[in-house]
This record gives sequence, C-alpha cells and structure tokens, in this order.
Amino acid sequence: MNTRLKLLLASIVSLGFLAGCGERPPVETVQVGYRGTGMEQVYNPRLLQQVAAKNQIGNIQPAADTSGPLAKDIYQNVQVLSDLSIGEFTRVMLSMTEWVAPADQKNCTYCHNGENYADESKYQYKVARSMLKMTRDINSNYQAHVKDTGVTCHTCHRGQPVPSYVWFTDPGTGREKASIGANAGQNTPVTALGTTTIAHSSLPFDPYSPFLLGDQPIRVGTTTALPSGNRSSIKQAEWTYSLMVHMSNSLGVNCTYCHNSRAWGEWSESRPQRTVAWHGIRMARQLNNEYLVPLTNTFPDHRLGPTGDVAKINCQTCHQGVYKPYFGQSMAKDYPELQRAKPMTEAAPAAETAEAAEAAADAGAAAPAAAPVAAPAAKSAKVVKPSRSTLAALNVAG
Amino acid sequence: MAMLNFEKKYRIRGGTLVGGDLFDFWVGPFYVGFFGVTTAFFALLGTALLVYGAALGDHTTGLQTWNLWQINVAPPDLKYGLGLAPLAEGGIWQIVTICAIGAFSSWALREVEICRKLGMGYHVPVAFASAILAYVTLQVIRPVLLGAWGHAFPYGIYSHLDWVSNVAYQYLHFHYNPAHMVAVTFFFTTTLALALHGGLVLSAINPKQGQVVKTAEHENSFFRDNIGYSVGTLGIHRFGLLAAINAGVWSAICIVVSGPFWTRSWPDWWAWWLNLPMWN
Amino acid sequence: MADYQNLFTRVQVEAPHYPGVPHDPQGLWKRGTHASASYWLGKIGDAQIGPFYLGATGLASLVFGLLAFEIIGLNMWASVGWDPVQFVRQLFWLALEPPAPEYGLRLPPLKDGGWYLMAGFFLTMSIMLWWVRTYRLARKHQMGTHVAWAFASAIWLFLVLGFFRPLLMGSWSESVPFGIFAHLDWTAAFSLRYGNLLYNPFHALSIVFLYGSVLLFAMHAGTIMAVSKYGGEREIEQTLDRGTASERAALFWRWTMGFNATMESIHRWAWWFAVLCTLTGGIGILLTGTVVDNWYLWAVKHGVAPAYPATFEVLPDPAIATGAAQ
Repeated sequence: MNTRLKLLLASIVSLGFLAGCGERPPVETVQVGYRGTGMEQVYNPRLLQQVAAKNQIGNIQPAADTSGPLAKDIYQNVQVLSDLSIGEFTRVMLSMTEWVAPADQKNCTYCHNGENYADESKYQYKVARSMLKMTRDINSNYQAHVKDTGVTCHTCHRGQPVPSYVWFTDPGTGREKASIGANAGQNTPVTALGTTTIAHSSLPFDPYSPFLLGDQPIRVGTTTALPSGNRSSIKQAEWTYSLMVHMSNSLGVNCTYCHNSRAWGEWSESRPQRTVAWHGIRMARQLNNEYLVPLTNTFPDHRLGPTGDVAKINCQTCHQGVYKPYFGQSMAKDYPELQRAKPMTEAAPAAETAEAAEAAADAGAAAPAAAPVAAPAAKSAKVVKPSRSTLAALNVAG
Repeated sequence: MAMLNFEKKYRIRGGTLVGGDLFDFWVGPFYVGFFGVTTAFFALLGTALLVYGAALGDHTTGLQTWNLWQINVAPPDLKYGLGLAPLAEGGIWQIVTICAIGAFSSWALREVEICRKLGMGYHVPVAFASAILAYVTLQVIRPVLLGAWGHAFPYGIYSHLDWVSNVAYQYLHFHYNPAHMVAVTFFFTTTLALALHGGLVLSAINPKQGQVVKTAEHENSFFRDNIGYSVGTLGIHRFGLLAAINAGVWSAICIVVSGPFWTRSWPDWWAWWLNLPMWN
Repeated sequence: MADYQNLFTRVQVEAPHYPGVPHDPQGLWKRGTHASASYWLGKIGDAQIGPFYLGATGLASLVFGLLAFEIIGLNMWASVGWDPVQFVRQLFWLALEPPAPEYGLRLPPLKDGGWYLMAGFFLTMSIMLWWVRTYRLARKHQMGTHVAWAFASAIWLFLVLGFFRPLLMGSWSESVPFGIFAHLDWTAAFSLRYGNLLYNPFHALSIVFLYGSVLLFAMHAGTIMAVSKYGGEREIEQTLDRGTASERAALFWRWTMGFNATMESIHRWAWWFAVLCTLTGGIGILLTGTVVDNWYLWAVKHGVAPAYPATFEVLPDPAIATGAAQ
C-alpha cells in the first residue's frame, strides 16, 4: 500500500475516532480556580441547550388574594396549609394539579375523593400532605442549601406524579447467597433494578443507602500527614467516590466545581460550593428519613421498589443535571404559600391580616407581570366567598 | 580532550540544513550548527524568563518563592482567550512556551544535521518529533481548540501535577478514557520490553564468571524456550521504537479529545458499547 | 520519503526453522520440536514461532496460572448469572473483589473474598514459578540472569500491591481487585484515600523512570535503527568488537548532548531505568497508609507543595461550624 493511501486511511480512521467521541468544538469553559490549576467547568453548548430545554420552570399561577377567610375555616381537614387564605389555598391546589397530577388525570380527583374533598382515603392525599410539609420545611429551614431560591413541587415532580429521578434499594442479583459470583455492590454496568450504574462505571452502584439514607461517614481522608488512627479502607474510598460521581453528574459539573483535587479534604482549598453541597447531603438524608421513609406504608405496592421500600431522594431528584435547579431561576419566590413552616394560629386576626398583607406585599413585589394588587395593610378580615370560577375549578358546589 | 579516540575521522564538514559552513563546528563535545545557536538562544531566553517569573511571584498576593518544588509560572486566565496577556498575568508563560517550542524544534533539527553528518537514518529526531507533538498538543493545539491559552499546564514541578490532577477530574474518572488506556498500555509495554531487551543483551555479554560470551542465537533460544517466540535483534528495536512513539502519540490523542471532543465523564463514554442493539 | 527506513521487512525469506542452541547438559525435559512461521510477525521481527520449552516449573506455573484465570473468569461469569451474552457485554465492568475490611487478615467465606484470595494465591505461585523458570533457563543457557532480576523488580511491585501492603495494613481488602475497570477504580480510590498520590515522592520517581524508560527506548531503538545499515542491531558483536555502527551511534549522542553511552552500557541504562520504575513504585505503595497517610499534607509539611492565591471565598469546615458529627 503506497504512502498516500496509508495517509488517507489514517486520516479517515482518526476522523472516525474523533467523530465517534460524539462531540466537537467549540466548547465553553469556565475558570473556577487560580490560573493554571486546571479547575474548570467544561460545557458543550449543544448538549447544554438540550438540558436547558428540559429544565424550564413550571407554570406559575397568578398571585392569590391573601385577604379573606382562611382555608381551614371554609374547608375541612386542612392541616398543613391552615395559615393560607382561600385564595392562596386554591392557588396551591391548582398549582399542585399542574405540577404533580398525571397527564390523563390533571384534575382534583387525582388526590381527592370527588364527593368529599376532606376524605383521605386516596393515598395521594396523605402523600401530598406530607410533601407540602416537606416543601415548607425545605424553604424555611434548609436555606443553607436552597438559599432564597427555594423549591416547589415542580422542582422534583416536573409535571409528573413520580419524579423522573428517584431511587430504590437495590434488590441484588440473587447471587448474594450463592458461593460464587457475588458482586460486592459494584463491578457491573447495570443494576438489578434495571438502571445503569453511576456514570456507567464499575463503582459501587448504591451509595445512596449508606450516605443519603444512612449517615455513614463520607470523609475517608486523613487530616494529618502521618497516620493518626484513620482506619478508612480503599473500598470505603470507592463508595465515597461513587457518591461524588453521582453528585457531579446530577449537577452537570465536574469535581473541580467544589474541590481542588490535590487536597480533597482541605476546606481551605475548596470552593464555597462544597459547603452548600455538604448541607445538601444532610438535607437529602433528613428529608428521606423524616418524610419519605415514614410514607412507606402509605404508598400502594406498585409505587414501592422491589424490596418494598419507598421511592427516595438523591441529588438528581431536584437538580436533574443542572448545577442549580432550573439554572438558578426561582419558582418558590412566587409561592410564599410554600415558604411558611408553621401554620399560623387563629388567635390574632389583625396579625394574620398584617402578615398576609406582608406576604402579599412580598409576592406583589416579587411577582412577575400581571399580578393583582397586594392587599392594603390595615383592613379587617371579612368573609369573602370564593369566586364562581374558583369554585368551578375546585369542582365544589357554591 | 573532548574527543573519543575514534572520533576525529568522523568530524567532517557537511550535513547542515541551514547556514552552510558558518556554524559547522564543535564546542567541546557538542556540535553547534545553526540550530545549536537557535537552541541556545531559545533555551537561555526561556530559562531566564522562568527565573524572572519565579522572582516576580504572584503580584496580587505577594506570594513569591525560590523553592524549586514550589516555583510556578502559570498560563493566563481564561478571560484572555487566545490573546497576549500582561507579563505578570501569564505573559511570561506565553513567551516561555514560544521559547520551548523553538528550543525543542531546534534540537530536533540539530539532531537531523548530526544524522546527516554521520550518515545515519533520521529515526531519532523523528521519534523526538512525536514527543514535541505531544507537548505542542498539550500547550497549543488543545488550548486553541478550547479557545484560551489558560488551558495549558503551568511551569512548576508540583504545580504542573496539580494541573494534571484537576484536568483529569474534570472528566470525573480519567482512567476510563479509552485512548488513555491505550497510551498507558504502550507505556507499560515499552518499559517491560526495555527491561527484557536490556536484560537479554547484558545476559549474553555478561555470563557467569569463566563462561564464554554468548551470541544472538543464544538470545533467540532463551526467549523461544521461555515464551515460544523471539522477536530478534532488529525486531526488538523496531518494536521498541514503535511502542515508545505510540505511547507519546496516544497520550496526545487522549488529551486532545478531552474537552474539545468529549465534555462528559469518561466512564459515560462506554455507554455506546452497553447500548449496542444486539444486546440491549 | 523515498528512502527505505528499515521499519518493516519488505522481503521475507523462508528458511528451515532454527532448532535453538542445544541445552548442555540436557535436563529431564526436552525442548519441543515444533516451530512455525508467521508472515505478519515476520514483517516486524523474527517470523519463527517456537519451539517452546515446557519444563517442570513451566508446567506448574501454567497450571497455577490457569487455575487463577479460571477462578477469576468463572466468578465474573457467575456474577452475570452465567449468561454468555451479558458476560461479553459486561466484561470490562466485571471483577473478582477482595474481601470486605471486616475480615482483616482472616480467611473470609468463599463468596466474600475467599475466591479472591485463592485466585491471588494461585496467581502469585504461577508468577513465582515463572520467575524460577526464567532464572533457570538463563543458567541452562549459561547466560547472565539479568532478565530474571528485572522480572524480580516487577514481582516486587506485584507482591507489594497484593501481599506486603495488605499484610502491613492488617486487611486483605486493601489489595487490588481482578477486573478491567475495577482495578482502575482501585487506583483512583487509592489516590483519593491517601491525599493525592501525585505528592508521593516515590510515585514521582517511579513516573520519572516510566517516562524515562519510554524516552530511553525511543532514543536507543531509534539510534540502532538509524545505524542498522551498518549492522547496529548486532549488539553483542558490536560490544566485543566496536564497529562503525557503535561509533556513529555514540558520536550522535556525544555531539547532541555532550556525553554518550557504549553499545553495552546503554543496555545498563535501559535495565536500570526499567527496573527502577517498579522498584520505586513498590516502595511508594508500601509507604502509603503505613508510614504516610496523606501525601498532600506530607508535602505541605516538607515545604514542597506550592501555594496558590485564593480566587474564591474560603469557608470553614461546616461540620465544625455547625457542631454536627461529620
């Protein structure tokens, strides 16, 4: 074969190899550390566009009228949202329908018994109540992670009853009892759940159980140069590594987003994002244990995993491949109803009105265009009948 | 003084690529040539600039050191793109890089001149060219594809290792890069082959006390007995040369695809195999 | 590019197979008699394949090696439920794992590291026996034992990784799994656990010798190829009776970099560089976790870690700040 032909063949093979990688320049890079340290984020704009298209915030209902009677005074069995006015309450219900109910049942009867809205017999009702508590909890008490951006139901659910990214306990291959062929929780590209392993690697495929449900120590490195009693094993390091790969892929970032890899453990070498992530891990852990696990017996079997466990949260549940959900846009700022943690008491109507007014003022200030006017400050509470259209939407007799 | 006892007859004029007889002489044992002059120029300038860079340190924080392990002359911030940065903000690095490429290329061309003078093939400078290609890939080609000089590695003993670590972790688990796997295999295989070749030749020339020096037939017999195959005296050098060059070439490939042609984690690249229709 | 560069053989001569230098005295085992020729191997090196010498240690080594290979392979196959299609599909991911840390140095059950220890033991036996074979074959041919001692350096690294270090750490779980991606995960996890291995000075030394070996082989092989027209590849003859090939080769390097080796001494450079790669590498692994627990902090302590200006806000450890456990 002559030289020219060999050269041509080599070029075709190289181009094929490069094309096989699937991506091409130009790519975008963001420097996140001192120059020359290699701390950079790398983005393919074409892929980023696809991710952006899938991560738009959900529909935001027009701001509610905060004046008028409280929902709990009009409706029965209102427990979590007892501090909301009828208008606010209705707004939340409408939003939940849009954000969570399935496409073929985007109405109140997904959760409610149509004949008696106070009836808890549908599991979705009880689950939703718990979810509302959780959402308010996140927005009020987990600002170390969610800051002022906050979350709404849409952040995880994105218009679906079950979020796209949840996790179940792996049932195992069934070879755990056999004398040969156990995989020690790793060394496979597909899990017994039928999902692909983290980043298609052979790292441990379930770091969620020990770290996002249990509180196994994630840190494996020693804080001194010489041995000082740290008995963490290399295997433990693999498990931590697996969790970190999950976090990276869930956020669409790489390790240098939080770390300088020369000194993983040193906080003096780590970016502030690492602190936010630290809080995120604790948040996921606490949410799983306080809200999801207690719902195990509430869900019917077809919603549970193969080992009978409830669907649980990991980083991907909210982030869905973006460093901040929705690229940092806030839905929660337009939903003060989902911000309060504690239901307000009945005892102080003036205070109620003032607080409602304050919240409405907040909503008014932050709301996008086409928001109704905020309620005036000092106005005594009066009973306001829900509008005909609201009643129609709620499918309640007026 | 500087000449070996058989050297004189080889010191003839000729073989130069550039400059004719002007620089066709030796300084001590070193051949000069036109490219010897350019090498010296670039090397001295580059080294002087590195010393200057070390003396400057980082002007924003006043961090400065003469500690050989800690000296760091870093490329510019990404914000300067492919332009020239101020000297103290990565400009020194840029000029040092130009000097490095100048010096390495000059060295290779000087080797060519020496080959021509000695009537040798160009295999050595060609092999060296593959290493220069790897350097240029890292410091020029890949940064250009990524749009900024700041993507190149810094000049510093430990700082360049920090760069290696962080760039690798940009792809979460760099070991899964298939071209990296090929390159590593070539590195380890070359080292293995070198150990075998060095050992084999020495074992033939240095038998036990009192025994006679052996021949190439013994070398072949030893390896055929041991593993069923002997590549032979010429073959081992062909293999070693090709393996060593491939180690460098695949290293260059593995880094040039990381970023410009692949932005995700390298383990995820293997999804195509898992998703082949025949078993998915 | 009109000149022939001697990289690939253009004309292959078919000739009777060379039966090999006779073993004198001949031992219990005889060398095989069968040999064949490979056209494609003949393009780069010698075309002859065989004859092979089995020998007692060779046979034992192959038996142990086959046992280890089968244990590893069958465990991998079992882990995909004996499905042959999945075995091929998942092969790079599959592995035989060392036992869990809780067993320490005790013998674990088969399914949790027992098979692994067995495979490791058989593989070690196989390699040791192959070393003995290499040594004895050299002696049989009345040659020096340089190849065997180079092999010993590689075995040193192998034993450090799979035996000495786990022993010192008190846990078989520290050893390297058998598996393509799995052993790469181990490598990354090792560095993650011990404060980034790039700061381990013996790791750095080992890399110097690794890259140096590749550099040296490129230099030496290139040089020999460049003087192959003068018979440079006949290195033994050139060593004993220096010809123009050795002279030009030496002068090339003397004129290039000011000093040179000889036809023999270059092979000493080669041997030492390659051997020192695994030798220092083994030391670096052995010191990790036993003598030093965090190489970055060790480097800081010894004043070799560079300092960078902070380009981001530095926050304290939230575990301490919040008073949380960790």
